[in-house]
Amino acid sequence: MMAAAARIFRLRRAATAAALALALSGCAHAGVGPESRHEAPGTEGNAAFLARVDEYMALHGAAKQSLPPVPPDPAAEQIATRQRALARLIEQGRAKAGPGDVFTPGVRASFRTRLLRALSGPEGAELRGSIMDENPGRIQLRINGRYPDSVPLSTMPYQILAVLPPLPEELEYRFLGTRLVLLDAHAHLVVDYIDDALPK
Amino acid sequence: MRRFAAWIVACAITAACIPGAAPGPARIYAPLSPAEPSIDLPNRDGSLKFGVIGDFGTGGRGQYELAEQMAALRSRFPFELMLTVGDNIYGSERPRELVRKFETPYKELLDAGVKFYASLGNHDSREQRLYKHFNMDGRLYYSFKAPAQDIRFFALESSYLEPAQLEWLKKELADSKEAWKIPYFHHPLYSSGGRHGSDIPRRRVLEPLFIEHGVSVVLTGHDHVYERVQPQHGIVYFVVGSSGQLRRGNLNRRTGITAAGNDTEQVFLAAEIAGDEMYFNAVSRSGRIVDSGIIERRRPE
Repeated sequence: MMAAAARIFRLRRAATAAALALALSGCAHAGVGPESRHEAPGTEGNAAFLARVDEYMALHGAAKQSLPPVPPDPAAEQIATRQRALARLIEQGRAKAGPGDVFTPGVRASFRTRLLRALSGPEGAELRGSIMDENPGRIQLRINGRYPDSVPLSTMPYQILAVLPPLPEELEYRFLGTRLVLLDAHAHLVVDYIDDALPK
Repeated sequence: MRRFAAWIVACAITAACIPGAAPGPARIYAPLSPAEPSIDLPNRDGSLKFGVIGDFGTGGRGQYELAEQMAALRSRFPFELMLTVGDNIYGSERPRELVRKFETPYKELLDAGVKFYASLGNHDSREQRLYKHFNMDGRLYYSFKAPAQDIRFFALESSYLEPAQLEWLKKELADSKEAWKIPYFHHPLYSSGGRHGSDIPRRRVLEPLFIEHGVSVVLTGHDHVYERVQPQHGIVYFVVGSSGQLRRGNLNRRTGITAAGNDTEQVFLAAEIAGDEMYFNAVSRSGRIVDSGIIERRRPE
């Protein structure tokens, strides 16, 4: 079951990467200039990172499969209960997870470099402004912990997402202060994070 | 009972009311009472009548009183759908909070069959895409054809503008044959709000697509004010971010891009599209029309 979930995820990731390449090739008129093409994913760290993402998604998929399917038109109570149940199962499945399990040291270095490059260009100040708009700043986080309900999500501009490896729909990158968080958006759970991912 | 009494008064004044008649053109009026909004919309048969709210789910008195205005207006201007431009629920989204911050204030509209089509803001959890009252069908971004007239709406997830979404939008806009294409999402490309303002990185990515594909109107929120922006490359942008939240005095009048604005009361937008014209009224919590006008659809160049 886990192998099948991982296979499905790899197919979806390949489709997303193809869409990314297509989007970047067509985006010159949208103000995403030639420098962005050199920042496309596939650089060092991608394979290692995506392999860890695969492992996480296998766990996520198995946890989701073990829950009853989402009914059509679910009630709010059903949505909330299921989300928390999913998070509990995932946490149990990776109880010993800590910082660096997905964002390994090599991946961290690679991501910091990419973000530095993206924010050093002519649009850098505006991108930073966009990221920091209503950015909640540094707050206490726990791996496998719930992303706080009262904390808004930071903006992830296109120009930043385009330089990071594509994720499956269940996962998102978000900033909290200068920390880059890998968020399981379906389980509302912190998967991993990189401190000081944004350059000062 | 109060509305019936007010109707009697209105009939006496206009001498044009026939009991049991369908609502006629709504080009009146002085308010029938302080709690009943006046409107200046044609109210034609067959037009698309809709509303827009943003940054609303506080559970506070401002949201509730504005919702009362919306329900009161609907008795004379029967809009059938409501678009949300995000920040639908603030803080906890536990079921009882969804009741307090959404199902209760808009109960009259929900019971009347008004369909809400939500987009998500930065305060919204992803799980809202499953919430039946938001009609997102499990999707973070989607488009749908309006139930009347030749209109397609595009709900975007502007806090996470990933390449896949952008690719989807390009294709949807290109494939759309509707005369009116109306995107709506949370973060404004143009805004005179002092707290956030215009988002330039998003503008760089989205505006060229809107221009290329004949978009006439864009609806956004995020800044807790109301603003209609002067046309930018022929496109009229709205900020409807004060339908619950409100940042008093936050409109920067020196940006030079404001056509009309309000930062003193909660506001929602009532709109009607008939043919090539979109009529709109921005209605405040106290029932005042704080902005109104007609937008002509952009024609292909």
